[in-house]
Amino acid sequence: MVDGRGTGGNRKIKMINFDKVTKKFPLGNTALSDISFEIDDNQFVFLVGQSGAGKTTILKMITQEIKPTSGSIIVDDFDVTDKNFSQKIDLRRKIGVIFQDFKVLVDKNIFENVAVSLKVIGTDQSEIKTEVKRALELVGLSKKEFVFPVQLSAGELQRVAIARAIVGNRDIIIADEPTGNLDPKTAWDIMKIFKKLEGKRTVIIATHNTDIVNSFQKRVLVLKEGKIIKDQRKGGYEL
Amino acid sequence: MRDIWTSIRRTPYQSFSAFLILFFTLFLTLILFVSLTFLYGTLNYLETKPQVTVYFQNKTPENQIFKVRDELMSSGKVLNIKYISKNDAFNIYKQLNKDNPLLLEMVSADILPPSLEIYAKKPIYLPEIAEYLKKQGDIDEVQYEKDIIDKLLVLTNTIRMSALIFFSYLILMSIVVLTTMILFKIALKESEITLLKLIGATNFYIRKPYVLESLFLGIAASTLSFSIFSFIVLYFNQFLQSYFKGITTLSVDIFNYQLTIWPLNYIFFTIVFVSISIFGAVIASVASYIATNKYLKV
Repeated sequence: MVDGRGTGGNRKIKMINFDKVTKKFPLGNTALSDISFEIDDNQFVFLVGQSGAGKTTILKMITQEIKPTSGSIIVDDFDVTDKNFSQKIDLRRKIGVIFQDFKVLVDKNIFENVAVSLKVIGTDQSEIKTEVKRALELVGLSKKEFVFPVQLSAGELQRVAIARAIVGNRDIIIADEPTGNLDPKTAWDIMKIFKKLEGKRTVIIATHNTDIVNSFQKRVLVLKEGKIIKDQRKGGYEL
Repeated sequence: MRDIWTSIRRTPYQSFSAFLILFFTLFLTLILFVSLTFLYGTLNYLETKPQVTVYFQNKTPENQIFKVRDELMSSGKVLNIKYISKNDAFNIYKQLNKDNPLLLEMVSADILPPSLEIYAKKPIYLPEIAEYLKKQGDIDEVQYEKDIIDKLLVLTNTIRMSALIFFSYLILMSIVVLTTMILFKIALKESEITLLKLIGATNFYIRKPYVLESLFLGIAASTLSFSIFSFIVLYFNQFLQSYFKGITTLSVDIFNYQLTIWPLNYIFFTIVFVSISIFGAVIASVASYIATNKYLKV
């Protein structure tokens, strides 16, 4: 059992470990059935499968939105299935999340939208300024920091969400269908941003965009009806 | 402060509704609070008035009267006893009838009875003291306004109980209505709260703006309630002056501090303002705390 962040400054080999995890919902439907997998530190992984295969359930278990019915989950050295686990906030501060519907704050400008990710963890104002500018530059929005979301396209909104997810030294970036609401060209632009994170963060992307998965040639976990049916180190994927 | 104002501007109807509810509650509370304070003050005042007067027969020797007085004093139920001798009674009589020489000529000190004016510690001891006196020898008459005291006790107990029930209902109603108002407001920000939770915000960080806004509304509503109440009190000051004519001071005991409530004074008004502001801030904060709870379970 791993309790808290016991590794100090050492790099971890395994960032995420699911061991025989099952999730049954109260009405009886099984979202995940006895699945086990490991994701290494700084690994780039696609979770693929049809709707209802269990992709989002896995992501929500990583962020502690839902708990497994049985099995063990370790994320960034936190044993989140431990009965005494009380570091949900610390864990979430290590994870950047990106949603299909962007979840940008409509009454805040782009700078503020990204800065909120740093404010919640108590970062200094001067550091917030530097880090937000750097993140906006990475996603190609450095000239739009004072623009409000209503003035941005869907692709730009997703860039904002990515910038928000990567600031604050977050070890893990998880994205649930990040290109689901985007046209093919914009989707590719977004994926290029994810590509820049390769080798620097642990990135987990849930998608059913076969073109993107196949062209990236990264690890692919294929899910079907709550089970992992394929785990390819440099995989492709067919629906 | 800027964030609070921005939030109010973005949801003006919900904020205004919350403000009106708070104002209504605090204004009623203020009236209730001040009325009860005056009621207690008046009760305290009445308790300092002579309550039982016992007239002895003319021939009763002074040492017999002093014996009764000493026994009463040692009972622990009496605050003070004033002995009025035949001569004292005659002097009082003369003072009362100084404009009527005919009445003065007809009366001498010999025909006036000596008496004791007994001040009880609490009105509830009065019947007991009166009964005790009636059993003593040499007593001519025991004057005790039983009906008035009984009615006063029943009335004050009823008012206290009614005020408590009404006050509790008022608090409950305001918290429920305010919570619902704030819930409407927060429902618009559910997505934002979920996001903040997922990126590691503490519950305190998420609650802070809502609680601060409620605090602001609570203090603003209590200030307005107090201003209107003060205006009404000052407007009716003449009426109050004539109503309390003859009463020099009314006071209540607050943690062993005698607070003067009449004549109206700045200390009393300051204490009322501080109390109502704290009360407003507390119920507004409790309501926003309960309302935010619903969305913090992510």
